[in-house]
Amino acid sequence: MADYLPILVLMVLGFLFAAISFIASALMAPRKRPTAAKVAPYECGIVPRIEPPTRFPVRFYLVAMIFIIFDIEIVFLYPWAVVFHQLGSFGLVEVIVFATVVLVSFLFLVSNGALTWGPAARLERALPSRTSESTISRIAAGLAPAGDGDRSGTGPGQAA
Amino acid sequence: MNPAALVPAVPATDPLYAHGVGLAVLLIVLIKVVVVFGALMVAVMLMIWFERKVISDMQSRIGPNRAGPFGIMQTLADGIKLFFKEDLIPERSDRFVFKLAPYLTIIPAFLAFAIVPIGGEVTVAGHTFELQLADPPMGILFLLAMSSIAVYGIMLAGWSSGSKYPLLGSVRASAQMISYEAALGLTVVTVVLVTGSLSTRSIVDAQALHFWQWNAIRLGVIPFLIFFAAVVAETNRPPFDLVEAESELVGGFHTEYSSIRFALFFLAEFMNTITMSAITVTLFFGGPDGPVPHIPHLYWLWPILWFLGKTIVFLFVFVWLRAALPRMRYDQLMDLGWKRLIPLSLGWMLIVAGFLVDGWWGVAMAAATVVGGVLIARAFSVGAAREEDRAILPPVGVRVWRRPGDPASAGPEGGDGR
Repeated sequence: MADYLPILVLMVLGFLFAAISFIASALMAPRKRPTAAKVAPYECGIVPRIEPPTRFPVRFYLVAMIFIIFDIEIVFLYPWAVVFHQLGSFGLVEVIVFATVVLVSFLFLVSNGALTWGPAARLERALPSRTSESTISRIAAGLAPAGDGDRSGTGPGQAA
Repeated sequence: MNPAALVPAVPATDPLYAHGVGLAVLLIVLIKVVVVFGALMVAVMLMIWFERKVISDMQSRIGPNRAGPFGIMQTLADGIKLFFKEDLIPERSDRFVFKLAPYLTIIPAFLAFAIVPIGGEVTVAGHTFELQLADPPMGILFLLAMSSIAVYGIMLAGWSSGSKYPLLGSVRASAQMISYEAALGLTVVTVVLVTGSLSTRSIVDAQALHFWQWNAIRLGVIPFLIFFAAVVAETNRPPFDLVEAESELVGGFHTEYSSIRFALFFLAEFMNTITMSAITVTLFFGGPDGPVPHIPHLYWLWPILWFLGKTIVFLFVFVWLRAALPRMRYDQLMDLGWKRLIPLSLGWMLIVAGFLVDGWWGVAMAAATVVGGVLIARAFSVGAAREEDRAILPPVGVRVWRRPGDPASAGPEGGDGR
């Protein structure tokens, strides 16, 4: 266990560094009572009226759940990789079976659209393909460079 | 199967602890830790200056040039300034978690560097020790553990701020970091596979003597490229800096942080950059390995210089990427991670395992990987083509569109989809 001694010492040192920084900052920083505007959540200058948001797309949870499949696979692969030279072809066959099982579950997930992010893929099918050549030809034809159906960032209001 | 064959060979540990832990050993450990700690702090200071200076050059600007020669003390000046700034805690924040998050970010950033081999073995006053802070048997797993804990720091920082932009930044950060951690873990498995040990010292020793023994070359270049892409995403550096996308999220997860708390997040980010460059060198470029000229009493210096030289190359690449590439969109980021890097790293791992057993096994695994890749590509096209009402979950932002698939009806407020 002596191998972990330097890590422990480094952890204590890192903690002390952070703690002393905070104490030093508390001593040196100006001590005034912040105004209500200062401690309000940052909203680009707009006075926040609604409660702070706690909802976000459920897809992020889904990514975390799919990650668990791979994380567990990785957890099993490390001990396997360390003893691989002793296991030989037996270890290889075992990991092929294991990888197949993981692959099948991954295929099931992605073919159900679990990792399809946002409407971009559907849009791309619906929209005419947009390259620098098409833009140049559109401008040359006297059309507005950014108009309806354009998803490259400029809204219609800015284009006008 | 003989159970004794399953016991892995005990990796060579630091000879410092061969005779137990006495006072002298404790002193050496303390000195090593303090030296590495100080070197890391100075390295971060120089790294921030280096990044600003190189980017200025690439953009035809001058960059910092007032504090010290060539502006080299600029970081120090900025750091001291931040000590004197008002420390704000937003009223809607969870105060305890808000104060805890910087610790959870900075301490793993320090610890991750502990396993990097900096040089060879040296003997000082009868004590032989490795120029490496710690060489535990679990070695590289420690790095993965620390990078996982770092996710908590960013996640909690954003969540506890009680504000819109930090929350979005931290949710993005956790999804991004765990996605790329899978690719990172799978490429590290490939390295462990050829080394047969988790200890970073053994990984470096296995690559010694010839540069074609370096894992970057021996494993085919692909694992190194996947690893480096995953590392850039793990450290939230451009082009994967969706976490603090200034144009969308103000400052990302640390929008509400000010004064020294903000400085510590910044420090941790650059420290992670340095550590990850050093880890890349360790895993794929032989660490401190390199030709050693025969100069008496200086044999210990050359490995350190080789290590520093290689690390600086990767630090430059980090800066270069930031200057050269635009930020990716979030769906592009997720597609790159899940659809390309993770399947490719898994397949490459199987191919390497096959070739380690037998040439024919290797060819068979390559064929199996191609089949798997075709299946995955097919599954993704099926998944993308799936109608919304039949999908497991509706895609993000689907309600913004009045008639999905028909952009002409989207109108002005639907103009930018997400």
